[in-house]
Amino acid sequence: MVGRAGFDRVSMIVVFLGLPFALYVLLVLYPFTQAAYYSLTAWTGFSAEQPFIGLDNYARLASDSRFLTALGNSATLLLVVPVVTLVLSFALAVLVTFGGSTHGGVRGLGSSGFYRVVSFFPYVVPAIVIGIIWSQIYNPANGLLNGALTSLGFDRFADFAWLGDPDTAMSASMVVIVWSFIGFYMVLFVAAIKGIPAERFEAARLDGAGRFRSAVHVALPGVLGSVRTAYVYMGILALDAFVYMQALNPSGGPDSSTLVITQQIYTTAFSQGQFGLACAMGVVLALVTFGFVTAVLSVSRLLERRLGA
Amino acid sequence: MTDTTARTPFHRRQFLRASAASGVAAPLSITLASCAASGSGPATAESGAAAPATGPVDADNPFGVTEGSVDAVIFDGGYGVDYAEFAGGVFGELHPGSTVDITASTTIAQQMQPRFVSGNPPDLLDNSGAGAIGLSAIVNDLEDLQEVVDSVNVDGTVIADTLFPGVLDVGMYDGKLAAINYVLTVYAMWYSETLFEDNGWAPPRTWDEALTLGAAAQEQGKYLFCWGTEAASYYLTLAVDSAIKQGGDEVRLAMDNLAADAWSLPAVTDVLAAMEQVVERGYMRPGGAGTQFTAAQAQWSQAQEALLYPSGSWIENEMIEQTAENFVMTGAPAPLVSDDAALPYESIRNTPNEPYVVPSDAANVAGGKEMLRIMLSPETATEFARTKLASTIVRDTVPEDAFGSSALAAQLDMLEAAGDQTFSWNMVSTYGMTAEVNVLFNSFLSGESDAAALATGMQELFDRIREDDAIVKIEIA
Repeated sequence: MVGRAGFDRVSMIVVFLGLPFALYVLLVLYPFTQAAYYSLTAWTGFSAEQPFIGLDNYARLASDSRFLTALGNSATLLLVVPVVTLVLSFALAVLVTFGGSTHGGVRGLGSSGFYRVVSFFPYVVPAIVIGIIWSQIYNPANGLLNGALTSLGFDRFADFAWLGDPDTAMSASMVVIVWSFIGFYMVLFVAAIKGIPAERFEAARLDGAGRFRSAVHVALPGVLGSVRTAYVYMGILALDAFVYMQALNPSGGPDSSTLVITQQIYTTAFSQGQFGLACAMGVVLALVTFGFVTAVLSVSRLLERRLGA
Repeated sequence: MTDTTARTPFHRRQFLRASAASGVAAPLSITLASCAASGSGPATAESGAAAPATGPVDADNPFGVTEGSVDAVIFDGGYGVDYAEFAGGVFGELHPGSTVDITASTTIAQQMQPRFVSGNPPDLLDNSGAGAIGLSAIVNDLEDLQEVVDSVNVDGTVIADTLFPGVLDVGMYDGKLAAINYVLTVYAMWYSETLFEDNGWAPPRTWDEALTLGAAAQEQGKYLFCWGTEAASYYLTLAVDSAIKQGGDEVRLAMDNLAADAWSLPAVTDVLAAMEQVVERGYMRPGGAGTQFTAAQAQWSQAQEALLYPSGSWIENEMIEQTAENFVMTGAPAPLVSDDAALPYESIRNTPNEPYVVPSDAANVAGGKEMLRIMLSPETATEFARTKLASTIVRDTVPEDAFGSSALAAQLDMLEAAGDQTFSWNMVSTYGMTAEVNVLFNSFLSGESDAAALATGMQELFDRIREDDAIVKIEIA
């Protein structure tokens, strides 16, 4: 009996843990370490020679103004995009779950099912298509946005280049990313809020809490786990942002104001033939990502402890 | 979210800790293994290339093609790949038993990179498009194609004697003909002959005339130029062409060799000052920095809001679906600064496009060269001109009526007028500078920056590339 249990245990570990782990090593850890090694070489990417140059690539990055600009832009995206997306999608989720009439049972706005479906639409459209659609909306001469603004009497927006002006290009690009993800995270939060017992909302309402108080003090603590997960996902997406930025402003935007690290990696590797340097950029990006995830997880753990969730 | 799973008897955390420990050890040995693997790369590459021997050589088969297949990767852009398939058909007729496999690609660098590394590149590569490989990265792994132009074409004439003058210069890298750029391309300012005739306008021969024309355009609610964000660099082309015509070889060499004073030469400063006037007086159609380039080009060819557009001669093909009915497209050379210019007004930049290369590690180098020889022969070159309304670098493949294409006729007229006063430069694509040039020129053309800031920015870009030892430099003479 003991022997059989031992075999079960061993075979389970092999099949369900060993195999995935082997795949993980082969397909994740191996390429990671390979890229880290390439970052120490002057590999062009097109020859078999990989001259080892130590940390030279990293020293170059520290003084590479274009890379530092890209790093700064990615950091801006990381700070702004997840917060704005999650705040807006949480607000929408609140509206469709318990933002409705304060008479009778706790419920969302009328026809909230319709809003839920409609706001999910952008998530179904591929990122590249969203980028192309929005670059047409932002078109200075005959885009929808300037058309609407000028017809409302804002004549100074005739031929205004939203993606071509250093003051607006980054914000305009952020709007696109936020727009495309609000619906998805709204649906995620709706599911999480539905998981909170309705009695809590009813009790809060009997105690005189309005919609805003209910949202902050009942719904938010109840969905903190989902918020954390969503924040990590959105952060990683903001650090990538390649498809959106490449579709909206392939050259990195006016004064490089929308250039992100991933675009810089791409041009360095493929059009400038410096794979070693591009790998070093990739390693820096990976470190930034790890730092971000660690920070989010520790902050959320602190928060959970304080809220007693 | 309460973490109940952590309290179950199954010790998830412990397992992860254990696997993390082995995870640290594993990659170390793998890293070492990967070094070893890459070290042995070239050896396998050489043995791979050595296998297919070349056969006997004669006049009809100058490179000793043997039976087998040729692996050709062709950029599937404005010209498509059917012209290469046509040439492949001719190859099969000349060498029974041989075939040419054409692979269409739009992302050359991404698709070819692993093949170059593993020593298994294609036999013939059309390294074109936005995703092309920066040629300096692979120039040492390419065949010298001098042998191809020294050979006779299918009709028995030496190929070098059938080409337009100066068309091979752009493919020369340190004395080696590393690439043959197949499609003749002149750079000019394109306009509608109809529109100009109706208004009694003439293309400007100097920047002063350009400013006068700009004022005339403004009276009609039109603009002198327009631009698109990804193609702002076309105005670098116009500026450099104009400066080379004004200052001569000194300017061309300074530009192509990324000289430390390239952007402070008097001819360059003068041209930028003139262009600054164009911007300041509002002769550029506003909004270009945020307009996709084909949409911007349609503002010129379809809506005719702008009079002139600086571009290579591919523009007719590119905009063929978006050109106004009565738009008779024709071209004029870049303007001069003043009459005492080093080169005549008619001189023009002639830098052919579609660089074809034959990698030295290819399995069938002879086949790649033979394919090029066939493409440079009259029958296939004429077929290209007829179907693409564009000329290859082979002369006399376009009839008098230029297949009814006014732009193609204009291109050949401009070349004839220029005679041997054509010039070529190529530093932007050689060093993959387009993205950064676009940033600087978008700011300049939209009036955000000025000529001085543009010159400083371009010079900094030049300096950075020139002083970077990691980038292979191509000395241009």
